[in-house]
Amino acid sequence: MVDVSQHELVPEHTVLEEDTLEEVLSEYNIDRTDLPKIKRNDPALPDEAEVGDVIKIVRDSRTTDQAVVYRLVVE
Amino acid sequence: MQDTTPKDIGQLSFGLMEPEEYREMSATKIITADTYDDDGFPIDMGLMDPRLGVIDPGLECKTCGKHSGSCNGHFGHIELAAPVIHVGFTKLIRRLLRGTCRECSRLLLTEDERDEFRDQLDESRKLSRDLNDVTKAAIRQARKKDRCPFCGEIQYDIDHEKPTTYYEVQQVLTSEYSQRIAGAMQGDEEAGVERTTPDELAEKTEIELTRVNEILSGSFRPRESQRKAIEKALDIDLTEEDTNKLMPSDIRDWFENIPDEDIEVLGINPERSRPEWMILTVLPVPPVTARPSITLDNGQRSEDDLTHKLVDIIRINQRFMENREAGAPQLIIEDLWELLQYHVTTFMDNEISGTPPARHRSGRPLKTLSQRLKGKEGRFRGSLSGKRVNFSARTVISPDPTLSLNEVGVPDRVAKEMTQTMNVTERNLEDARRFVSNGPEAHPGANYVRRPDGRRLKVTEKNCEQLAEKVEAGWEVNRHMIDGDIVIFNRQPSLHRMSIMAHEVVVMPYKTFRLNTVVCPPYNADFDGDEMNMHALQNEEARAEARVLMRVQEQMLSPRFGENIIGAIQDHISGMYLLTHDNPRFNETQALDLLRATRIDELPDPSGVDDEGKPFWTGYDVFSELLPDDLNLEFTGTVGDEVVIEDGQLLQGTIAEDEVGEFGGEIVDTITKVYGNTRARIFVNEVSTLAMRAIMHFGFSIGIDDETIPGEAQERIDETLEDANDRVEELIEAYERNELESLPGRTIDETLEMKIMQTLSRARDNAGNIADDHFEDDNPAVVMANSGARGSMLNLTQMAGAVGQQAVRGERINRGYEDRTLSHYEPNDLSAEAHGFVENSYTSGLTPREFFFHAMGGREGLVDTAVRTSKSGYLQRRLINALSELETQYDGTVRDTSDTIVQFEFGEDGTSPVKVSSGEENNIDVDQIASRVLDSEFESEAEKQEFLGSRPRPTNLSEHADDRLAEGTEVTSDD
Ligand SMILES: [Mg+2]
Ligand SMILES: [Zn+2]
Ligand SMILES: [Zn+2]
Repeated sequence: MVDVSQHELVPEHTVLEEDTLEEVLSEYNIDRTDLPKIKRNDPALPDEAEVGDVIKIVRDSRTTDQAVVYRLVVE
Repeated sequence: MQDTTPKDIGQLSFGLMEPEEYREMSATKIITADTYDDDGFPIDMGLMDPRLGVIDPGLECKTCGKHSGSCNGHFGHIELAAPVIHVGFTKLIRRLLRGTCRECSRLLLTEDERDEFRDQLDESRKLSRDLNDVTKAAIRQARKKDRCPFCGEIQYDIDHEKPTTYYEVQQVLTSEYSQRIAGAMQGDEEAGVERTTPDELAEKTEIELTRVNEILSGSFRPRESQRKAIEKALDIDLTEEDTNKLMPSDIRDWFENIPDEDIEVLGINPERSRPEWMILTVLPVPPVTARPSITLDNGQRSEDDLTHKLVDIIRINQRFMENREAGAPQLIIEDLWELLQYHVTTFMDNEISGTPPARHRSGRPLKTLSQRLKGKEGRFRGSLSGKRVNFSARTVISPDPTLSLNEVGVPDRVAKEMTQTMNVTERNLEDARRFVSNGPEAHPGANYVRRPDGRRLKVTEKNCEQLAEKVEAGWEVNRHMIDGDIVIFNRQPSLHRMSIMAHEVVVMPYKTFRLNTVVCPPYNADFDGDEMNMHALQNEEARAEARVLMRVQEQMLSPRFGENIIGAIQDHISGMYLLTHDNPRFNETQALDLLRATRIDELPDPSGVDDEGKPFWTGYDVFSELLPDDLNLEFTGTVGDEVVIEDGQLLQGTIAEDEVGEFGGEIVDTITKVYGNTRARIFVNEVSTLAMRAIMHFGFSIGIDDETIPGEAQERIDETLEDANDRVEELIEAYERNELESLPGRTIDETLEMKIMQTLSRARDNAGNIADDHFEDDNPAVVMANSGARGSMLNLTQMAGAVGQQAVRGERINRGYEDRTLSHYEPNDLSAEAHGFVENSYTSGLTPREFFFHAMGGREGLVDTAVRTSKSGYLQRRLINALSELETQYDGTVRDTSDTIVQFEFGEDGTSPVKVSSGEENNIDVDQIASRVLDSEFESEAEKQEFLGSRPRPTNLSEHADDRLAEGTEVTSDD
């Protein structure tokens, strides 16, 4: 089987630590349910990700080098 | 004074209304179906009771004391003789009946199941998912229960007969059970079923023989288990459906007993909505203002459809009560009940499937509540989102190259109708008086004035002089639109931001709107009968916003691709090409004439002196006058040569489409980004006027002779085509001899088709090349194709050489008759001619067969564009609807209305496409810009620092105000 998460076109997905998460949430002044969502069964997710975790995705960007996005893992 | 400050909506909550709430808000109970008495006065407690509001001017409302216009009307109510079902909730009623116990009304879920669904509901709410998914699942789970987990009562199926009848369906023993069993025991010889004796039956079903005999005699009704056993043993059906109609009052009683905590699990807030409120006992009567009666010419009153419907309801309601009091039989009562239900149902929705619509005497279906809201002409789509507005005008558009691209020519008759409100002060008093004294007929006049006390006076030819003297500071004058006013201009379909732009008015004679041709691309307009809409702005805030954000020059760069969407088009491009291609020479008069419509009124030093000793200026010199003095650019141009601009002087290259055209003309794009929108507007305006002068100087026209080639060229083309035909024949022969080798991955047939297509397209190209050889570079079609103004070399090839292969679905034409395209070809003729190759050119003319094939190919093109536009229009609408409420917030995130983040940074990079360089290698020369700005703009270090602190933008908000002809030669940057 191909591990999609290792493909060069799939950006890095990491589970966000609880205290960094608090910083992010307060920076944008939101609840975690206001974040964009990602399904638990998404093959790009790291194995340890659980429902309720927040994932940090770092994408390569043509214009800004790196674009950071956060997503909440849902069922 | 009315408070007109906008207010925030804190919250909206939707729920059901309690009958008591209907009674409380009611101004009066309605008991009689009559409207007016013989003297024409409304009857008390009738449908036109004066407490329900006033519609006749002059009368006073009996509830609030206001007059018609300021009284919004007040609801009344009808006490229904028996409860009826609200049609809007039939689905929910069905769900509740199926999900709750028929005896104790509790939700048919164990406490654990109930809690689980409640938790799921909370989670869905938090993630803003569809709650219906959870509640539907809960009902599905509840329906599976045969018995109530609380009281143990057996549950029956609920049947819903649309629209408002519900039945309980019970499976019961049929009354003819003994006959059926006896019949089955007889057996059937033909079908090979043997006889069954009572002994055998008793053995099979494990029922005592005496009981079996009792059952057979009909003196004992088998219990459920016994029934099932007999059914199985004899393979018969002993059950019968017994349906029991649920009356609205039964349903109401049922729902009243559903506990609050059970309703919550179904997504209903019990404090706001109790399910029994879905069964109406009180009917609110809309105020008369919502159903005004009309007085016809003959003095008769004609009532609104809603009033007619309410009359029906009250009549039946009364009959119901009378019959019940008189002790009428149940059958009659039920009939009346059904009739009452029908009238209440159609009062709310008269387009329910399965129910005949209530009709007017004339046979026209009544327009009741739901019909007022639904559909294209309904309240939402017709009156709220799509209302028609005042202060707008629509007419045909036509071109006017003397206008600036920011301007629009407005017919004087429009200008006299669409007024602007002038608040008179001491400073504009004289102007205001002049407008009023001109009256409503003369152009810069006025139509109305408003005195400080609020009285509005019409300005007429008769009173204008007198009125003008009375005008003082503090008055308002509705003056005609004049030059320099700002208006919004629009062409449908409004597919992008640039479909609606603000223009400055230039009042003109005749009946069309006039625009500069360079704004055709953003509007996608042409002048073959296109019409456009204009909107006059009505307050200072709107006018300021339009000027700063919406003016055409502010839309110069398209947010779609980050380059200029406005630029020279068509003849402008041909003109610039003629002016710069061979760098022609002009004498002083000619050069000045070329520049006459620009700001340039003095020529630079001449380029040189001609043979006769007179000074001359080149095309480059003339064009360079329009460029900013410090512009430096170098790029490969349209014609393929290198375009070099140094210090605002064109040194090399041809100016054509890629230089000054729409959709990314390099020079226009650079000027917009480096020197600002104002400078770019001036440049585009001047390029277009210079180009028009140039094209008129050289003369530019096209005729049939320009596409005709000499006989020897035609002979060569014929030879080429003959050759191609021969080669196609060879291919076909090779194919028929089976000697053709197939290409990798293709069948032999496909290979042959491909090779033929290749051969023929090469033949068409060769014919084109031969034709091209005979066209000079100054041939107008060639000039247009080379400069990018219009048309291509392919168009020229088809006009002069050969039209070439016609295709349908990317293949040669293969359809028509059996094994051939037209009836007169041999079957399976594979030749070029028989499959749509057009040897003739458009100039020489097509043969009938060629014409037919050409029409086939042409039709495909038409169908494709029709399908594409409708498909992409629909796709675009859905995208717009899905994205319309997204908004970039001040923290840079993009969020929807519930504050859910869609993008953490606008576009993931926080940049606007029109504010960044979009060059191929992305190489913007920052150092050059920085040093140029810093060195040239400031003399002292102090000034430089001041600039680095904050730099105010020069305001240049009205083109009308700045006289662009008298301005200095150079315009300072504002970007
Ligand atoms: Mg048109
Ligand atoms: Zn009132
Ligand atoms: Zn029960």
